[in-house]
Amino acid sequence: MISTPENQTQDNCFDTNKKIPKYIRRSILALSIDDPLLEKKSFDSWADAIILDFSKKSNCGWQQDIHSRMPEAINIAAKGGAEIFIRIDNKFAKSELEATIFPGISGIVLKGAHSAADLQKISSTLDSLEIARGVHSNSIEIDIEVNNATCTWNLLEIARSTARIGIFFLNEQELCINLGIQTEANLPFDPLEYIKSELITVATSIGGQAVGMSYPLSLASESIDGEILRKGILRARDTGFKGAVCPHPDWIKLCNSGFRPSEEEANYYVKVIEVFAEGIKHGMASVPMDGKMIDVPVDLRAKVYLEWAKRAKARDAEKQQAHHKL
Amino acid sequence: MNNRVSRVSMFVTPTNPRFIDKAWTRGGDVYILDIEDSIAPAEKQRCRTLIRESIDKASKGGASIYIRINKPFVDTDLPYAVWPGVDRIMLPKAETAEEMQHAHQIISALEKERGIPLGSIELYPMIETTLGTVNIYEILTAVDRKIWSMDGGSGYDMAVNLGIEMFADFDQYAYPIAYITLTSMALDIETTGGVFVPNTSGRVDQSDQAAEQAAALHRAGIHHSMALHPAFIEPLVKGLTPSIEEVKWATAVIQRFDELSSVGESVGTLEGKTVDIYENQKAKATLHWALECAEKDRFKEHALKKASSQSLPQ
Repeated sequence: MISTPENQTQDNCFDTNKKIPKYIRRSILALSIDDPLLEKKSFDSWADAIILDFSKKSNCGWQQDIHSRMPEAINIAAKGGAEIFIRIDNKFAKSELEATIFPGISGIVLKGAHSAADLQKISSTLDSLEIARGVHSNSIEIDIEVNNATCTWNLLEIARSTARIGIFFLNEQELCINLGIQTEANLPFDPLEYIKSELITVATSIGGQAVGMSYPLSLASESIDGEILRKGILRARDTGFKGAVCPHPDWIKLCNSGFRPSEEEANYYVKVIEVFAEGIKHGMASVPMDGKMIDVPVDLRAKVYLEWAKRAKARDAEKQQAHHKL
Repeated sequence: MNNRVSRVSMFVTPTNPRFIDKAWTRGGDVYILDIEDSIAPAEKQRCRTLIRESIDKASKGGASIYIRINKPFVDTDLPYAVWPGVDRIMLPKAETAEEMQHAHQIISALEKERGIPLGSIELYPMIETTLGTVNIYEILTAVDRKIWSMDGGSGYDMAVNLGIEMFADFDQYAYPIAYITLTSMALDIETTGGVFVPNTSGRVDQSDQAAEQAAALHRAGIHHSMALHPAFIEPLVKGLTPSIEEVKWATAVIQRFDELSSVGESVGTLEGKTVDIYENQKAKATLHWALECAEKDRFKEHALKKASSQSLPQ
């Protein structure tokens, strides 16, 4: 006698409790803690996340210097509601981590990693620093800035090296130089298309996400015409990127509105869910709608998109609240 | 019958008499009897009980039969899916070697119990997630059961997993498709997908879209495709079968290469085009595929005639 599951309401194997995307980080802006306008620039930017960079004094006291200034820099950069990350150079990771890890940061951006072993070492250093600095255990995320061929080759091992891994992004300028590809954005194709798709695939496979921009804007460093940027963001989003590192503050507003479902898409997906639910009522799990087929994954994607739109809206409200507070 | 000719495999819902009763008249090379996403949860058990009779119904016109089961219900579905006449079990959203091993064990036991030659039913992992993509090598080498063709890395479920809008005008799956294809070929498994053809409307019922898809696949040397609507069957079967002109050209190339070989030469021309060992190999592959298609078409024609005469009113 063959047993039958009594409850067969689970019609798809995706974990619907898992958030897609994991984080709402549509716009990421890099600023220096040495910038006298750090507070104003972060506050006015409306970025979802800010990466703090720092320069080292040439004398041997750099570590003490950064250590003394970093808590204040984190505090003022976060005033507009952005999540704060610190950029760490893999070559000097241990000393830089010791100088920069404090409460108030969401994670670090690791640049120049080559292997899973690099990540394991850093993760272990973070374990100790979290205890020493009163930060919740395993709460500091590691994001990977991919800028060399070895890192690209070892991407999956790196992604699986520690549960701290959050997002991946390419430093396209440096990766192009490392690969011997021209950095002028005038090719008729994206030379990094395959690597970008790999980055998105690997990041998603571990439950993380990738941020990035479509070519040729991915090599731009300036303010861009709004319509061109809007199209570039749409393409990046539909490739699987969930946000972008903005080379110019002008990008942030469009990234915040572009790396999320549009109003029009949200309305369409409400209709999809209604049509599918009606089909299910009549015992059909594959329903035509305007020549398209609506079935389980289409319905599920509609729900994912609506949830994404809701979370993006909530993130905007959070930032709004942070601004009002001041 | 050589069941590797699957120019078009079409999904059919066994619970819908309008689809299943007419499938054999549609001309598909393969019908995929679906217990998964096109079947409502409340209908799944009824669907399982209809599989055995649906195999006979859908294969009447000479088509091969695949069954798509549910990943969460592998243990429940397989006893209803493994029967004589089934060529392939499709395991959706395969992500690990363990899932393959589990399904393989159940299929082997059922083959033994039901007098089906051991290992004769193919276990086909459908790669529809990013985790399945990065684990593709482990998945394809997990069990000692032949997988003769492979594709994946795109489609509706992958779009859910990536959180992307579908039907863009560019290839959204460059890495997954290429990585799955490369891994499959390294393991000597024929690749059955991988050519991007834009479909920005998302419609699944337009035959001109099918013709474009067939032409792109044919140019890339790919012989197989899938369809969700009967309107796709005829253009895909036609488009993926070598034309008379292609067969004539291939025959002439082989003849020309034989002439060159007989005088100790390895490179020459035919109507201004180069003829060498590679062109000769390509021509032989075209003829071989043309013969396989012709054999399948004869088989289908014969089966169709037989089934039509049996279904005539007495």
